[in-house]
Amino acid sequence: MFQNTKCECGHQNPVGTVLCESCGKPLLEELLTDESAPLEMRYDGVARRSQKANPHIVDRIWNFFSSVKIAVYLIAITLVGACLGTIFQQENTLINMTERSEFAAFYKEQHGTFGVIYHALGLSRTYESWWFVLLLVMIGTSLVICSLDRVLPLYRALSKQQIRKHLQFITRQQVVYNGTVEGDQEAWLTELGKQLKRKHYRVYQEKGALLAEKNRFSRWGPYINHIGLIIFLLAVLGRSIPAWHMDKYLTLYEGETRQIPDTNYYVKNENFTVDYYTDDELANNQKGTKVVKLYETEARLYECTDACDDPMKEPVLTEVKHHNIRVNSALSYKGLKLYQNSYQERVRFISVKPSLINSATGKSLGTFELSMDHPAEKLEVGSYKLTLSDYYPDFSLDDKSQPMTKTREPNNPAFVIRVNGPNIQAAGELYIYFAMPSEKSKYYEKIINESFKQRGDNTGLFTIKVENPIVDGKMNNITYSEYSTYLNIRVDKAMPYIWFGAAISMIGLIMGFYWQHRRIWLRFDDHSLSLGGHTNKNSFGLRADVAWALGKTGIEVEPKSLDNRRNVR
Amino acid sequence: MTLNGWIDFSSDAFIVAFYLYCASFICFAIAVAGKRWSNRKPEDHTSRWGKIGFGLAVLGWLAHLTFFFTRWYGGGHIPTSNMYEFMTFLGMAIMFAFIVVHLIYRNMILGAFALPLIIIIIAYASVFPSEVQPLIPALNNYWLKIHVTTAATGEAFFAVGFAAALMQLIRVVDFTRTDKAGKRSQFWTEFSLFVIIVLIGFLVAVFTFRAAGYESTFNQETIVIDDAGIAKSSVKEVIYSLPPLVAPYNSEAVSFQSFIGMKEPLFESPSWLNGANAGRKLNTVIWSVIAGLLLYGVLRLFARKKLAAVIHPHLSDIDPDDLEEISYRAIAIGFPIFTLGALIFAMIWAEIAWSRFWGWDPKEVWALVTFLFYSVYLHLRLSRGWQGTRSAWLAVIGFLVVMFTLVGVNLVIAGLHSYSGV
Repeated sequence: MFQNTKCECGHQNPVGTVLCESCGKPLLEELLTDESAPLEMRYDGVARRSQKANPHIVDRIWNFFSSVKIAVYLIAITLVGACLGTIFQQENTLINMTERSEFAAFYKEQHGTFGVIYHALGLSRTYESWWFVLLLVMIGTSLVICSLDRVLPLYRALSKQQIRKHLQFITRQQVVYNGTVEGDQEAWLTELGKQLKRKHYRVYQEKGALLAEKNRFSRWGPYINHIGLIIFLLAVLGRSIPAWHMDKYLTLYEGETRQIPDTNYYVKNENFTVDYYTDDELANNQKGTKVVKLYETEARLYECTDACDDPMKEPVLTEVKHHNIRVNSALSYKGLKLYQNSYQERVRFISVKPSLINSATGKSLGTFELSMDHPAEKLEVGSYKLTLSDYYPDFSLDDKSQPMTKTREPNNPAFVIRVNGPNIQAAGELYIYFAMPSEKSKYYEKIINESFKQRGDNTGLFTIKVENPIVDGKMNNITYSEYSTYLNIRVDKAMPYIWFGAAISMIGLIMGFYWQHRRIWLRFDDHSLSLGGHTNKNSFGLRADVAWALGKTGIEVEPKSLDNRRNVR
Repeated sequence: MTLNGWIDFSSDAFIVAFYLYCASFICFAIAVAGKRWSNRKPEDHTSRWGKIGFGLAVLGWLAHLTFFFTRWYGGGHIPTSNMYEFMTFLGMAIMFAFIVVHLIYRNMILGAFALPLIIIIIAYASVFPSEVQPLIPALNNYWLKIHVTTAATGEAFFAVGFAAALMQLIRVVDFTRTDKAGKRSQFWTEFSLFVIIVLIGFLVAVFTFRAAGYESTFNQETIVIDDAGIAKSSVKEVIYSLPPLVAPYNSEAVSFQSFIGMKEPLFESPSWLNGANAGRKLNTVIWSVIAGLLLYGVLRLFARKKLAAVIHPHLSDIDPDDLEEISYRAIAIGFPIFTLGALIFAMIWAEIAWSRFWGWDPKEVWALVTFLFYSVYLHLRLSRGWQGTRSAWLAVIGFLVVMFTLVGVNLVIAGLHSYSGV
C-alpha cells in the first residue's frame, strides 16, 4: 500500500495520520469529499503506534489488543459472563460441601435440569474459571496496549501545536464561527485573547492567528485511570502468591487458646458476648423477635517467643495485642487480621469443681478442679491424694460394653479417679465421676461405681459431686462456654497495591470527567475571520465560552448558532 | 420533641415533598404541552411554567431533605438501611442530580421526564414498611453513610441520563416511517413507555388493595440444608396483600379472602425462584402487568394513537443534540461517583466488615456489571456511529441494569445484601 503522507504545508506525517500533525489539514481521501462535515478529532488525528505499513506477527497481536472495538467486546463478554455467575449460587458460598459430587447433587436437587447443566458447564465456579480469568487478563493487556498506542502520539501532537491551522481544519470543527472584523485585526485578536485568558485559557498568538487552550491535563485522565486499573488487576493477580495471602477460619470457645495455623501466633477467646435489642428499640413489625445488636469476641493475640516447636514443652507466649473483635472492627497486627465471622450458640464444658465427700457423714473433705482439656494428673484434697487414672471426654460404651470416648470434645466427660490416703485400703479407692448433670450420665456413674465396688476397687467410702450446683439460679462450681466464636484469619499483602491502584484510577476518572480539554483556533484571511473550537466533552460549555468572549469583543452571537454538528446524525 | 415525634414529623415532611413533586411535575407538563394554549410566545410560556416547576421541585427537595435529616435524628442512624429508606434516598439523590443538570443546561423540559421518575421511585419506596428499624451489627458502621450515599448519588446521575435519553428517543422517533427499522424504533420507544406504565400499574395495584385492606395468608414449607448437612424443614407464614394468583411454592392456604369470585390461587410458583418470598413477588409482578395493561389500554383509548406519538410533537422544538449532550454529561458526571461509591467504597467496607474486599456476591457482581456497562457506553461513544440514538438506547438500558442491581437482585437472587431487601 502506497500512501503519500506528505502534507501541502511540507510536514512529513506517519502512515495512518488523519489530520496533518502540523497544520491540521485533513489527509484521508474520504475526509476530502465532503468539505462541510465536521472532522473526526479523536487523538487529534495522529497516527497510532499500531498503524504500521507492514505489520509483523508481534505487531498483529499488538494491533489486536490496541483496538478499542476489541476492548469493548472484551468488556461486554466479561459483563455477560459475570451475569451468568449470578443465576444460581456459586459453589464457594456452600461452605459445608467439598466434593464435586456433593455440588452436583446440590444443583440437581435445588434447580433440576437447569442446575445440572449449570454445574456441568462450570458456571457454578464462574469467577474462578479459566475463561473468566483469561478475560480479565486480556482486558488488562488491552488496557496496557490501548493506552501506550495512543498516549505517546497524542502527547507529541499536543506538545507541538501549530497556531495557524489549515482553513478546512478550522471550519470543520464542532464549534464554528465565520465573520468579518473591520479595523485593526491584531488589536482585536489581542483583546479576544485577553478575554479568553479571563476564562482561564492559555493563549498563543501570531500574526493573524490565535490558539487558546485550557485543561489539557484532562486528556491524560483516561490513561491515568487505565494505569490505576492495571495496577489494580496486577495486585489482584498478586493475591495468588501463596505467601501474600492467607484465609483461614478458627472456632474458639470461651477461654480457649489456639495456634493460628502456619504462624507463630496464638489467639485466645477471653470472653464472648451477644446483645439483643430490647422490644423498645425494635420497630413495631419486629417486636417479639430476637434481633442481634452486637456480638464481640474479647481476644488476645500472643506471639510465641520460646519453645515454639518443641512438642515436649509448653510454648512460651507473649501477649502482643488485646482487642474486642466485632463485625466492622477486626484485630489487626502486623498485616495479620482477625475478623468476627459468626458465632455458634453451643454449650461446652471448660472445667468443674467437685468436692470429695465422706459418704457416711455427708461432710465435704475439700474441693478440686477438673479441667476438660488438660485435667491435672495428680491432685491433693486435704490429706488425700487423687490420681486421674482415666479420662473420657465424650464417654460412651463400645460394642463390647467397654468404656471409650467418641470424640475429643467434652460432650459427656467422665473422669476415673483413684483416691489414696490415710485409713483407706492400700490400693486406694477407684471412682468414676461424670461432670454432666444429666440423668443418663448420673445413671452410668452409679452403675459403674457399683461394679467397681463389687470388684473391690472401692468401698463406697467417698462420693464425688458438685456441692451447691445452683446458686441464685446460676450454675455454681461449673465453668462452661455458652458460645463459640468463629473467626476469620486473613493475611492480604496485596491490599495496599489494590487501594493504590483504585486511588490512581479514581484520580484519572475525576481528571477526565470533571474537566474538559477545550481549544479554540482563529485565523484571518484578509478581513474574513474563521474560528473553530474543539472539546472532547461538553461542547455546550465551549460554545458558551466562545460566545461570551466574542460578545466582549463586539460580536454578539447565540451560543447555539455556533454548533456545527448539523446533519451528523 | 421526643424522638418518635421527630420521626412522625419526618413522615409529614415526606408527604409534603411528594405532593410538591407532583405539583412540580404538573407545571413541567404544562410547560411542555400547553405551549399553544395562551397568546404568549411559546418560549415565554415554557420558560415561565418551567421556572415555576423548578421552584416547586426545589421546595419539594427541601422538604425531602427535612424528611431525611429529621428521620436520621429521630431514628439515631442514617436512614439508608432498608429498602424504604434506600429508595427514598435514591429519589432524593435523583432530585439532586436533576437540580445540578438543570442548573448547567437550563433545559425547562427535562423536568417533565425527571420528575415522574422521582415520583415513581418514592412511591415505590412507600410500598415497603416505613418503620425505623435498629441496625444489625454488619451495618453499624460509618461506612453505611459513605458507601450508600455515594453509590446512590452516582446512580441518580445515571437516572437523569436515562430521563434525557428517553426524551431524545421520543424526540427523534419518526412516526411517518413505515420501513422495518422505522417500525422497530417506534415499537421499542413505545415499549419503554409501556414498561413505565407497568411500574405505575404496580403502584396503583398495591395502593388500591392496601386501601381496601386485602389480605390472604399461606403457610410455606421450606427445606434448608444446614452446615452439618442435615435437611431441616421450616414453616413460614407468607402474607399477600394482593389477591394470590400465584401461591408460594410448597404451601397451604391459611386464610383466603376471595376476589371477584376467585376462591383459590390459579397456580403455584416454581421452585427455582430463589429469593425470600419468591411466590409473593411473582404474584406482584403478574398483578403489575395486568394493572399496567389496563392502564395502558385506557390511555390508548383516550389518545387514539401511540403514547410516544402523543408526546413527540411537544418535543419538536428541542434539539436532539442537546438532549444527547445532557444525557451523556449526566452519565459522565455520575460515572466517577458511581465507581467511587459502589465499587471502591464498597470494597473498603467489605474489607472491614467481611474480611475480603471482593467476594462475587450477587450485589457486588451487579455493581460491577453496571460499571462495565457504562464503560462500554463511554468507549462506544468514541466511535461516531454510536453517538445519537444508539447511545440513547444504551443510556436507557444502562438504567435498567442499575435498577436490576438495586431492586432486581434483591427480588430474585439471595445474597449478602438481602437485609436491604423486600
